Amino acid sequence: MTHSLGHGEDAINVVLSREEEILPSSGFAASVMSAVQREAAAPPPIPFPWKRALPGLVVAVLTLALLLVAAIVGIVQLARMPGSGPLSAPLPSVLTSTLELQRNAGSAVTWSALALLVAFVSVKFSTYMVSDRT
Amino acid sequence: MSASDDQHDVETVLNGNISAFEGIVRRWQGPLVNLAYRFCRDRGRAEDMAQEAFLRAFRGLKQWRREASFSTWLFALATNLYRTELRRIPARTVPLEDIVEPADMRAADGGMEDRDLDSAVRRAVAALPAKYRDAVVLFYFHNMDVKAAAQSLGLPEGTVKARLHRGREMLRGKLPRLLGVPRLKEAQ
Repeated sequence: MTHSLGHGEDAINVVLSREEEILPSSGFAASVMSAVQREAAAPPPIPFPWKRALPGLVVAVLTLALLLVAAIVGIVQLARMPGSGPLSAPLPSVLTSTLELQRNAGSAVTWSALALLVAFVSVKFSTYMVSDRT
Repeated sequence: MSASDDQHDVETVLNGNISAFEGIVRRWQGPLVNLAYRFCRDRGRAEDMAQEAFLRAFRGLKQWRREASFSTWLFALATNLYRTELRRIPARTVPLEDIVEPADMRAADGGMEDRDLDSAVRRAVAALPAKYRDAVVLFYFHNMDVKAAAQSLGLPEGTVKARLHRGREMLRGKLPRLLGVPRLKEAQ
C-alpha cells in the first residue's frame, strides 16, 4: 500500500526512493548462524534465587523497620527528657545528646557486638547463597 | 519471500532444529542489512547491527504473535535495536545547520549530477533530529508505505505522518533550491 503525503513526486521522493541497495557480504549468513549456534549452546542464564533470598530479604526489611522504630522512639524519649529542648530542637544538639546517652550507658560495647553479629550473619548468608546446595 | 516459509522455519526452530533459522537469515539478511545501512551509512556497522537483530529475533522467536506477519515483527525488532544503537553511538553526521546547499546546482549540461544531489539530501536526512530522521528513513525503506513505517516504529500512523511532514519541511528549508523547484531533467 502506497500513500501520497500530498506533496506529489517531489525531489525528496525521487532522491530517497532511488536508494542504492547494498548486498550483505558473502559470509554474513554463516557468521549470523555461528553466533546463533553459540547462543543456543550457551547455558541459560542463572535465575535469581528468590526462594533462598526471601528469608534474608524479610529479615533485612524487618531489621530496618525495627531500627527505624527504635530511632523514632529514641528521639521522642530524648525530647521528653527534662532539660532537653522541644522535638523541634536543632539536629546537632539532638545528636550530641544521643551520643552522650550512649556513652553514659556504655552502649559502645553493645553496638560493637551488634556490628560483629551483623557482619557474621552477612558472611554466613553470602556463603549460603553461593553454595551449591539446592 | 513467503510468509508460510517464515512460519514453517519459526516452528521448526522452536521445535529444536536451530539450523532452520538459516532460512530466515537468508531471506531477510538483505532487508535487515539495508535498513541498518540507511540508519548508520556504514556497511560494516550495518552488518554488525543486522547480526545483532537476528540474534535478538532468535532469542525472542517465542514472542512473535502470529497476529502480525513475521516481517512486521522482525522489522519492528530491528528498527528498535538500530535506533537504540544509534542513540548509544551516533552515526558520524554533519549538523543540520552546517549543511550547505551546493551553489552550482544547475550546470550547463542539464543540472547537477544525481550523485551530488543524492549525497546532499542523504546528508541532510542523516542530520535531522532522530525522530524525524527515523520516520523519513522508515517511510522510504518501506516504499513510501506509512502504515508499514508506523508498524516498524511502533507509532500511530498519524504521528508518523506528522513527523514525515515536519522532516520534509526541514529538508526543504535546508536545501530550498534542490528540493523546492523541479529539476531540469524532470521538467523535460
